[in-house]
Amino acid sequence: MNSIIDDIRAAARQLLADGKVDVVIGYEKGSLPLKSTPCFVRSPQDADKLIWDETCENNLATYAAQTAGKKAIIAKGCDSRALMVLLQENQLVRDDLYIIGVSCPGVIDKNKIEAETGEIIEATITDGKVSVKGIACDKEYNFADVKDATCQTCRYPNPVIVDLKIGGSVEVPQSDFADVIALENKSDAERKAYFKEQMSKCIRCYACRNACPMCYCQECFVDCNAPKWLTGGVDSAENLLFQTGRALHLAGRCVECGACSRACPQGVDIRALSRKVNKDVKEMYNHESGISEDIKPALNVYSADDPEEFLVKE
Amino acid sequence: MSQSKIGAVLIVGAGIAGIQSALDLAESGYLVHLVEESSAIGGTMPMLDKTFPTNDCSMCILSPKLVECGRHLNIRIYTNSQVVKTEGEAGNFKVTIKQKARYIDTEKCTGCGSCASVCPVKVDDEFNQGIGKRKAVFKQYSQAFPNAFAIDDKNCLFQKHGTIKGKDVCKKCVEACQAGAIDHAMQDKEIDVEVGSMILNPGFKVFDASRLVYYGYGKIKSVVTSLEFERLLSASGPFDGHLVRPFDQKEPQKIAWIQCVGSRNAKINNNYCSGVCCMYAIKEAVIAKEHSHIPVDTTIFYMDMRTHGKDFEKYYDSAKNQHGVKFIRSRIYEVNEAEDGSGDSVIRYSTEDGQILSEQYDLVVLSVGLEAGDSSKELSKILDLKVNKFGFAELEPLTGVNTSKEGIFAAGVFSGPRDIPETVMQASAAASAVASLLSEERGTLVSEKQYPPELDVAGDVIRTGVFICHCGVNIGSIVDVPAVVEYAKTLPTVVMATEKIYACSQDAQASMKALIEEYKLNRVVVSSCSPRTHEPLFQETLKEAGLNAHLFDMANIRDQCSWVHMNEPEKATEKAKDLTRLAVVRASMQQPVKPVFMAMNHAALVIGGGIAGMTSALSLADQGYEVHLVEKDTTLGGVARRFSKGFRGEDMKAFVAELVESVNKHPNIKLHVGTQIKEVGGFLGSFTTTLDNGEQIAHGVALIMIGGQEYQPKEYLYGQDARVMTQLELDEALVSNDSRVDKAQNYVFVQCVGSRCEENPYCSRTCCTKSVKLALKVKTQNPAAKVFILYRDMRTYGYFEEDYELARRSGIIFVRFSENEKPVVTKEGETLVVTVKDHVLGCPIEIEADVICLAAAIVAPADGAKLSQWFKVPLNKEGFFLEAHMKLRPVDFSTDGVFMAGLAHSPKNTEEVIAQAKAAAGRAGVALSKEMVESAGLNAFVDKRKCTACGTCEAVCSAKAVSVDMVNRVAVVNDALCKGCGACASSCRCGAINLRGCTNQQIAAMLNTF
Amino acid sequence: MIMGETKPYEPKIAAFLCNWCSYAGADLAGVGRFQYPATIRTIRVPCSGRINPLYILKAMANGADGVLVSGCHPGDCHYMSGNYVARRKFALIDSLLKHVGLEEGRVNFSWVSAAEGVRFAEVVKGVTERVAALGPNTGVFKVDGGGTDE
Repeated sequence: MNSIIDDIRAAARQLLADGKVDVVIGYEKGSLPLKSTPCFVRSPQDADKLIWDETCENNLATYAAQTAGKKAIIAKGCDSRALMVLLQENQLVRDDLYIIGVSCPGVIDKNKIEAETGEIIEATITDGKVSVKGIACDKEYNFADVKDATCQTCRYPNPVIVDLKIGGSVEVPQSDFADVIALENKSDAERKAYFKEQMSKCIRCYACRNACPMCYCQECFVDCNAPKWLTGGVDSAENLLFQTGRALHLAGRCVECGACSRACPQGVDIRALSRKVNKDVKEMYNHESGISEDIKPALNVYSADDPEEFLVKE
Repeated sequence: MSQSKIGAVLIVGAGIAGIQSALDLAESGYLVHLVEESSAIGGTMPMLDKTFPTNDCSMCILSPKLVECGRHLNIRIYTNSQVVKTEGEAGNFKVTIKQKARYIDTEKCTGCGSCASVCPVKVDDEFNQGIGKRKAVFKQYSQAFPNAFAIDDKNCLFQKHGTIKGKDVCKKCVEACQAGAIDHAMQDKEIDVEVGSMILNPGFKVFDASRLVYYGYGKIKSVVTSLEFERLLSASGPFDGHLVRPFDQKEPQKIAWIQCVGSRNAKINNNYCSGVCCMYAIKEAVIAKEHSHIPVDTTIFYMDMRTHGKDFEKYYDSAKNQHGVKFIRSRIYEVNEAEDGSGDSVIRYSTEDGQILSEQYDLVVLSVGLEAGDSSKELSKILDLKVNKFGFAELEPLTGVNTSKEGIFAAGVFSGPRDIPETVMQASAAASAVASLLSEERGTLVSEKQYPPELDVAGDVIRTGVFICHCGVNIGSIVDVPAVVEYAKTLPTVVMATEKIYACSQDAQASMKALIEEYKLNRVVVSSCSPRTHEPLFQETLKEAGLNAHLFDMANIRDQCSWVHMNEPEKATEKAKDLTRLAVVRASMQQPVKPVFMAMNHAALVIGGGIAGMTSALSLADQGYEVHLVEKDTTLGGVARRFSKGFRGEDMKAFVAELVESVNKHPNIKLHVGTQIKEVGGFLGSFTTTLDNGEQIAHGVALIMIGGQEYQPKEYLYGQDARVMTQLELDEALVSNDSRVDKAQNYVFVQCVGSRCEENPYCSRTCCTKSVKLALKVKTQNPAAKVFILYRDMRTYGYFEEDYELARRSGIIFVRFSENEKPVVTKEGETLVVTVKDHVLGCPIEIEADVICLAAAIVAPADGAKLSQWFKVPLNKEGFFLEAHMKLRPVDFSTDGVFMAGLAHSPKNTEEVIAQAKAAAGRAGVALSKEMVESAGLNAFVDKRKCTACGTCEAVCSAKAVSVDMVNRVAVVNDALCKGCGACASSCRCGAINLRGCTNQQIAAMLNTF
Repeated sequence: MIMGETKPYEPKIAAFLCNWCSYAGADLAGVGRFQYPATIRTIRVPCSGRINPLYILKAMANGADGVLVSGCHPGDCHYMSGNYVARRKFALIDSLLKHVGLEEGRVNFSWVSAAEGVRFAEVVKGVTERVAALGPNTGVFKVDGGGTDE
């Protein structure tokens, strides 16, 4: 990792010094252990603030569109897919963007650790081991065991679009939609109960939406007054309408970065919806979003022989 | 001519051709008199189930045109009518039309059908080809226009017997009709009209299969014609689309089609190919399989499979390979009834190798050919037109549509068998020819309705008036209309509600107008029948009352309520209330919609200076429009410069020279030769095209006519031995004392070189005829020459069948080969040897050839891709331009204002190119005739505040009407192009794009009342 | 029916029909007098491509017992490709709704052409049976029912 961060900093320094970009969007150490925070480096001397490790979980593409001027951005696989979709959807201008790609080994699921150790006081990451000093206990974990759920199913850890690639590539893990299939295999009643339980936790704080690089609407449908799609109440039915509507809006666009789930303060299994849609999109249209410039968002195109299993059986 | 011309047109026959010509002409400023022999417009198309090669539902694609034609202010429709007399000349004809009494006033008839339900007389239903019955008072089919019944006086009891002993024999219909529309005293009448030109498209009759006794038609119940089979398949047919044998209702599991019944038959003087039967038989076989819930075995018995139209070959391939339709090349001896009492038929036939076989089928479909109709022949006689020996009108060579009389044009099967797209093309081409002839008179006889100024209702309190219709007893006997009225009065915004016996009657309309004024209504809801038929009528009333036509909605409480819930009056009443409420909600949120007008540049750009481009350019120039003709070559003429003779023996050199001269001389045509297009921008009404030479052209429409190319063979030693040449090269050699042909004795023609193969999975259409023509020419020049034509299927469709027959009689030897065993050309020393496996002998034969002529494919133009991007118009897989609709819009693109014709569309012969080029000019002329580009205004619109410029709307818009303005980062709707489908609005995640008349707010408000 | 006994349950179904095919097919059912249950409340839209997935969710939230969505058969679209664009949305929403626990049969999709009057009646019959078998909408989206069902 050390050489990677040195290279990232060097690249950032050079880009800023040469005036090629106005800002480099990357990660810096957060105020809490095992937490990084997005940072915006605007001068060469600040480049040393940048870090690169398994805590770099935010999808920086979310910030790219909101940052004016020419920008360089550190992109993991999922960030790069998000950038690709945002480019396709006119939210970014390619010429204003310099993508520093870094292959991603996955990020740490801090919540999983804190569930055991209590609030983390101090933590170090070395050679695939995460040593944690917590309020309740101290513990050492294998990184693989505390890897975020999203990263465990990640099929694109290596950036799909780069201007500069730093470090080597990581091996692409085999992954199917086992998590979705497991849920699909449950009975209708079990699934209904599961989603009801999940939705009853949702407080509609919209942290998921705000963290999502693809949720850039000026006005989200839930906030729309004319018409009012929702009544404004917060109950499991309305919450499900919101989450379902959002999942459909992400159909063929979700890049599976997991930002929504990580952002959720209530631990709602938001990905249970988006993953299902992603699986359907993959199976029905052989489409994965943001993996190539040539592949248009799945709902923007069609084929004469698209499947029609949904038709009512007569 | 001293007399001034008349800006009106007579169109005879209201099938798809008549409708298309009528709409084209009425839309471009001519008054149309449309004469139809039967009681409704539509012709043959409404009888068909699906149409090839897209399997579109025939009725679905036709019915919007029926409605448009039926309602057009400048189309006068005369049903039950025939032309009985004409005099005068081009520009100025007097025509007498005889209209038979219908005994029903179409103005009063509401089409409710009460009369038919009480009529005691049942007769065979012609529309269903005699399968099933209709009444003596009848409507041909449910979507028919006029939406009115007619009395068939040959069968009506009262018409036949009148009054016996002072008592009416039967007048049940009169009693049943609450609209008072029936008038048994109605008389035939004669109507005189003056027109400047005529278009004849009276259609055809199908061959009467009982004339060929060996097919058993009329004797064996399980033998039906293909048109009967269409009705069996049709969802609106006598068995509601349930595929059964008419006589015992058994579901057939094994069906055979017999091709060429009444076609390609010299013995009965029908030695022409009907051209459509191969495709319709394949379609029927495929649809039969799809239709039936049990597996159906389908077999087509044929001589040559003639799938020479655009995308037809692929359809044939998929029928064979994906759908498992069997094809047997054979000769049919006879069809007999099975002896097992099953009612089945047994076909006795011989296969290619001479075996004689018999096979039993549940149903045998005879693919009957097309013949000149009796009334068509009569019409030709009245007008003294030249007809050919088959009774079809004979067209002037290389005109596409001109009959032997100046000012009289023809379209459709009147001049010979052709399919729907060709018919539609000819119809538009004929309209174009009329527009050229009468260009000075454009707009002189058409009328435009005047309305009082529109009241400004913006900001006013919504005041809705609700009218609930009884439709005689049609609604009122089921739905409790007074209860619905009372309910409507309780709804928000409703200030008055009332009932009407017939809301559509003239007095009801007058009362509605008065009530709008009395109650100061600014929204109107009518609960009655279908908006698809009646919305325009009520909207008209609103306009007459000074209200915007869109401050309106309808609830369909008849077709979709009382008629379908006849045994549940209470539930029907509840539903009628709900539907009325939904309409009130929608109407109350409706805003005035103004048509949108945009500038129209009245110049046309024609790209390509071949026959297609020159023909289009001339025809538009004659219509009075400025034309820019761009040709990349330095001379005009295109590939036709290499032709010596046309397919009817025309002198092509002279023809092309004359065309070039006319183009050069025409004051309205500006030539841009030796230059290409560099850039294109804009849309219908305001395109700007930049040429390589820097010149900029502003134009309102564009016509793409860039031709095609001859395939460069890689096979058969082409390019390695000069004696192997393409058809074009042989044509040139035969007229230029070429040494290669001077002493040649043995000619071998090889068909399908680069066609019907994996690389080009289509038929090039012209090459079979071309080879036959060339072979005959060889034989004429050198009767001792030995000529072989090696072919897969001889596709000499239409009258070219005669040439094929002549060729065989002249001793030209035809040898069939199969796709998998193509001929082989080798060189032994200096001798060219062609080896081919003969299908009759079953063994290879060797032919020493002096000349080998390859029927090289016609391939797509090289420049297609660029134009496709510039004009936002699609190409098909093979690189030919793809029209908006393969059947009904054969020269239009789905992008408005762009048209095409010629080989860039698909392979075709010169005559067909000319017809298509005129059609494109006709369609372009319709657009150019408008003062402004007008859009109804029920379009998408953008809330700039919400738009994120993501481009989803742009991606899903098939009309290319939405684009993202990247400077202002907002989607922009081009009202000139928007069709109002709303796909953009439902795809917009941000809710930034919406659809007038069907907004998210309206739908949500309607759902809120659930 | 004995007083006090509950009336047999009659579902109310929101039916989104495209103007050019399915609405015409429904008209044709009327012309042919093909009877079907009085359960649908039709909302006419220009094209099945106009149907926003949110309409379906909202219909469910507002308490419609069922939804029927019907457009032109693929290839028949009056606007060329509206139903093709819609088809992908429909496939995904159908699958997702079932996944989150909406009963199969609440939301129904079909293609009905302008010539298929009988079939339109059959489709409504079939959909009504499916919805009726499920009982009133107390489903996962219904605003005043979803929170308290089971």
